Parts: sequence; C-alpha cells; structure tokens
Amino acid sequence: MNLVRAELERLAARRFVQLMVVLLAFAFAVTAATTLAGSHKPSASELNSARQQATEARQSMETAFQECVARRDGAQPTEDGGSFLPDDCSQIDPVLQDRLPIAADFLPGVFSFAQQARPLLFFLIAFLVLFGFLVGASYIGADLNSGGVVNLLLWRPRRLTVLATKLGTLLGTVLVLALLASVAYLATFWVIGQTAGLAGQLSGEFWRELGAVHGRGLVLVLLATAVGFAIATLGRHTSAALGALAAYVVVWELGARLVLEIVDAPQSDLFMLTSHVGAWLNGEARFYDEQICRGGDIGFNCQGFYTLSWLPSLLVLLGITGGLTAAAFAVFRRRDLI
Amino acid sequence: MSAVIEIEGLRKTFHSMRNGRRVAVDGFDLLVEEGQVHGFLGPNGSGKTTTLRALLGLVRADSGRMSVLGQPSPELLPRVAGQVGAIVESPQFFGNFTGYRTLRLLARAGGVPVSRVDEALDLVGLRDRGDERVKAYSLGMKQRLAVASALLKDPRLLILDEPANGLDPAGIREMRDLMRSLAATGVTVLVSSHILGEIQLICDHVTIISQGRRVASGRVDEVLAGYDRHEFLVRVADPQRAAELLDAAELTAVVDGEALVVSGASDPTVISRVLGEQGLWVGELTPLRPDLESVFLELTGAHPSVPRQVDDSALPYAAQGDAVIDLDRGVDA
Ligand SMILES: Nc1ncnc2c1ncn2[C@@H]1O[C@H](COP(=O)(O)OP(=O)(O)O)[C@@H](O)[C@H]1O
Ligand SMILES: [Mg+2]
Repeated sequence: MNLVRAELERLAARRFVQLMVVLLAFAFAVTAATTLAGSHKPSASELNSARQQATEARQSMETAFQECVARRDGAQPTEDGGSFLPDDCSQIDPVLQDRLPIAADFLPGVFSFAQQARPLLFFLIAFLVLFGFLVGASYIGADLNSGGVVNLLLWRPRRLTVLATKLGTLLGTVLVLALLASVAYLATFWVIGQTAGLAGQLSGEFWRELGAVHGRGLVLVLLATAVGFAIATLGRHTSAALGALAAYVVVWELGARLVLEIVDAPQSDLFMLTSHVGAWLNGEARFYDEQICRGGDIGFNCQGFYTLSWLPSLLVLLGITGGLTAAAFAVFRRRDLI
Repeated sequence: MSAVIEIEGLRKTFHSMRNGRRVAVDGFDLLVEEGQVHGFLGPNGSGKTTTLRALLGLVRADSGRMSVLGQPSPELLPRVAGQVGAIVESPQFFGNFTGYRTLRLLARAGGVPVSRVDEALDLVGLRDRGDERVKAYSLGMKQRLAVASALLKDPRLLILDEPANGLDPAGIREMRDLMRSLAATGVTVLVSSHILGEIQLICDHVTIISQGRRVASGRVDEVLAGYDRHEFLVRVADPQRAAELLDAAELTAVVDGEALVVSGASDPTVISRVLGEQGLWVGELTPLRPDLESVFLELTGAHPSVPRQVDDSALPYAAQGDAVIDLDRGVDA
C-alpha cells in the first residue's frame, strides 16, 4: 500500500504526464469552445421547417421504393422514367436503411448531441489510447533510465512486486483519468446540446450503445497503456515503445498490407491490429475481399464482404498485450540492472 | 564476531555485442564482520561496483555464494533489506523533486517513519537545503543526498560505493566524521574507494581488489605490516662512510643523495650504535613505514611513471606467487 502511494506520487510528478493532461484539457476546451461558438438553439420555425424537410425526404424515399416495386411488378414507369431506380429494390427500401432522415439533418449550425456523441467519443478514445501508451512507456522508461528503479529495489529487493506495483498503479491512474475525462467530456457536450443546440432524442437505447462504446474504449485505453509499459520495459527505454509503434505501423500496417494485397492473400485484413481494434470498438468490422466471390456458385448476391466480430478481436488484443506483459516481467526478473 | 557480509567465489561476466565477454569479478572473496569499518579498495574498473551490485541483487552473479546479515543473497535479501542502507555508484534521483520529497518517497516505499527524513538530512548536512530541487544540487550535494537515503533506514549495515565522489575536502572530512560516528554506534560499514588516504584514515579493515580478485585483506595495520621491509631513513654528515660502516655490520645501506636508506635492521638502535661508536652522529632516523598507497600500488601493479590503462593492472602477488596474502588466515593458495 505504501509502495502504491509512493508510485502515485511519482506518477503525478512526471512532467510528461502533466503535459499530456494539459494537452487533453486543451483539446477538450478547443473542441467544446468551437462547438459552442458554431451552434445555436434552433428557433421554432427552423425546427418546424427541418421537421417538414425530414418528413418530405422520408416520403420521397418511400415513393421511390414504391415505384421501384411497381416497376419490378411490371407497372409502367412514371413520366420521368424511373431511371434512378436500382434493379434490386431492397437497396432503397426505407425499412432496411440504417437510418432515416431526421430533423437534425436539416438544421445546419445546430449541434445535436444524439448525432455527434459517438464520433466525439471516438476522438476522445483515440486520444486516451495514445495518452495511455505514451504515459505507460515513459513512466517505466524514465524510471529505468534515471536509476529510480534501482533506488527502489535497494529498498524493496522484490523485482516482480516492484514492477507489478508500478503497472497496477499506472493502470489504475489511467483508468480513473480516462473515466473522469470522458464523463466530463460527454457531460459538457450534452449540456451544449441541451442549451445551445438540439436536445434530440436520447433514448435508453442510445445511452446503452454509447455506454458500450465507452466501456470498450476504456478497455482499449488500458490495453494500450499496458503495451506501452511492457515494450518500454523490454527495451529499457521510452523510445523503445515509440520505435516499436512506428516500426509496426510502417512495416506491418502499411508495408505488409501492401505485400499481402499484391500476393492476393485471402482476408488479409485479419492480420492487421487496426482491424481488431476497429472490430472491438464498433462491435464488429466488415471487410471487402473479392476472392470470397470467386469460389464458383455462391451466386449473384455475393458482395465479397466478411465480418470480424468483437470476441475474436478482443482475444487477439488480450493475447498480444498479455504476451508482451508476461515477457516484460520474465525479462525484468532476471535482468542486470545497471 | 559474526559475519555481516560473506562473499565466496563470486564471478560475474558481462556479455555485450560490441565488446564481447568481460570478466568483471573473477572468484572474489570478501568477509566483513560486525562492527568493522571495512575498506574496499581497488583501482577503477577492478570490480568493486559490480561486486556490490551482485551482493545487493542488482546484477545476477554467474557463480559464488553470498550472504548479508546471515541471509543468503539475493534469494533472502528482502528479509534484511530494511537493515541495509546502500548506495551503489552515485545514485541518480528524480530532478524535479526536492531532496526532502525524494527521501520521503523512499521512506514511504520502505515503510520507514517519515520523521526519519529530517534526521537523515541533518546527518549529511542538507538540513537547510532539503526543500530545493535535486537538479539544483551540486554533485557533492547529490552525493550527500544519496548517503542520506542510505541512512534513512537507520541501518545495521551501511554499504557506500565511493561516497567521497564529488565531495570537496571539507565534505570528505564530514563524510569521514559521519562514518566514524556511525561506527561508534555499532553500525557496520563497508566503504569502497579508489582513494587510499580515505581508507587508511577511517577503516580498521581493508580488502584490496584488482582485476576482480582479492589480492589482500585483513586489519589495515596488519596488511601494512606485511609489507614493512624494516627500512629506515638515516641522515648523517658523511653518508658514504656511514654506508661502508653499516655494510660491515651486515646491514644493507643505500646512499640516496644526502641520506641513507638502511634495511635489515630489526631495531633502529642498532644503526645509531654502529654509527655512534665510530663517531658519526645520527641527525635523523626515521622508520620507512609503508602506507596503504604503496602497498596498493604494489599489489595492483601500478607504476607511477607509466600511464596505467584501466585494464592492464597485474596481479603481481596473487598471479606470480599464486598466493593471496590474507592476514586473518595466513597465506592461502
Ligand atoms: N554493464 C556492464 N557491461 C559491460 N561491462 C561492464 C559493465 N559494468 C561493468 N563492466 C566492466 O566490469 C569491470 C568492473 O567494473 P566496476 O565493477 O564498475 O569497477 P569499479 O567499480 O571497481 O570501478 C570493468 O572492466 C567494467 O568495464
Ligand atoms: Mg565503481
């Protein structure tokens, strides 16, 4: 417990951590301020007109679908020829669409929390993932280099305990920070939506989905933190983690992806960590691979898509993080600390 | 007397891609008993720091047996770590913290009452500078802070690796006084140094290391006595004649400018009698006691006029005669 308190104090005193927190607050303030400045509460007439436009849009979709069905069933095309209509009417079936036009779509300059919350949350999660990775790496990297770890080991000559305490304190702190930051962030934009934008329809369903993305995002932040910590421990340096990240992106995500495409490797997206990150965050991810349709009699409807669902992606991410962390502990247990 | 530190046959080889294999410690032995102020003496690169690191579990020994306060190290070191205060090679501290905060963190991590921090700062003379940032400290002040961190635990055993590094002469004296007063309260001290004067002034026992091996060890005065050739410096009016007279009396006398160096006399009165009987009156008769410096230079193979490279020191006694002079145990093979 004392060790945890000491680690917390060290972590809080790190310049880099402070800098990243300031940066987070700054990015947050800028986003909130520009949103606030660019949004206004819609007047009753604006709202009415938007609602009307949305209704019209939905009606014209319905009309188009009806025409399409009618043409398919052999009726005569209407005067303008119906040339915009697809062969497969289900493509424009309003019932099958992901979403239908709503009033918010016709309110330029009005912030709608219901529509913007998800992308805003994704942005925050991306920032926190980077934050966790960098803080995790620099925290142990700087300590290994400055002799802080050696000093500590002279007091507590139990290496695994010392390293585990560091990792635990780090993960706890990052989690609390990420939670506080994201709650403050969402709350601020919610308030902006309520007071200077479109309050929108915030159903239980909406909150459940947002909460799920939030929870999955936090898991991702913790995984990134542990990975940064583990690589920096293995390489004895903060820069080891940065280098590994840069090398991974360039060599694998860009280079190997290109090579895999050239050699026509099947479902090559499955080898990319970014695919798994996306699948985990969104619940699933769809990728295109034309080879799926080459296998003969799959039929005309083959669209060449395959889906990656969150569970295997989570397992991949956990496996990599766990493997790196276990390796870091195993190496640290035996290493010469100079 | 019980052994506080025991090291037997410690070996440590470093492997690096660029330099290949380097044997840093090569079958080294060390015995420090309770209450000693034990000097650990050796030239740069002889393996002192590596030995202390291995003892404290920071590097992994290839082979050898070690124990600290009766517990095998590094396996059971955690049991006694609370009683061992150590600094190994000028420790570095986090520059943004004040000295006080640095120590408070360590105290907290080690379960020492925080009130100890002020006492430790006071002991090393940093009481009034404790609330300055460590990065604003001078080298000597950092060294003092390091010693304070070792004293924080109120240790039974204090291990200091080259504590005089970076200290000014006054600081060196204070450090010496501090070690003396700690020793007086019963703390066992192991202090490494390449500065001989220091060891001779404060230590009662010494172990000399060269190229990773022990070349001498024992009480300081006994180590010195082992190298005493019973030489005397003699000043007389006519050194030439005196030399002849002494030769005739079966003593060896070498004229050295205005003076004579006489060896082979068990007792200086023999010299003054031989010369006095012939009417040559002795103006000065000084025993030429070896100091640790000359013993050290002899043992570690350094020669004052040739620039010695850190690695080329020889093991003149141990290697050539294949014997280690250990005055506590006699001469072992
Ligand atoms: N981490 C290391 N890697 C390779 N060689 C090392 C390392 N640490 C020490 N050495 C070598 O081991 C020898 C002993 O070093 P050290 O124990 O620091 O000597 P001392 O403390 O007596 O000056 C030196 O030759 C040094 O170059
Ligand atoms: Mg050294």
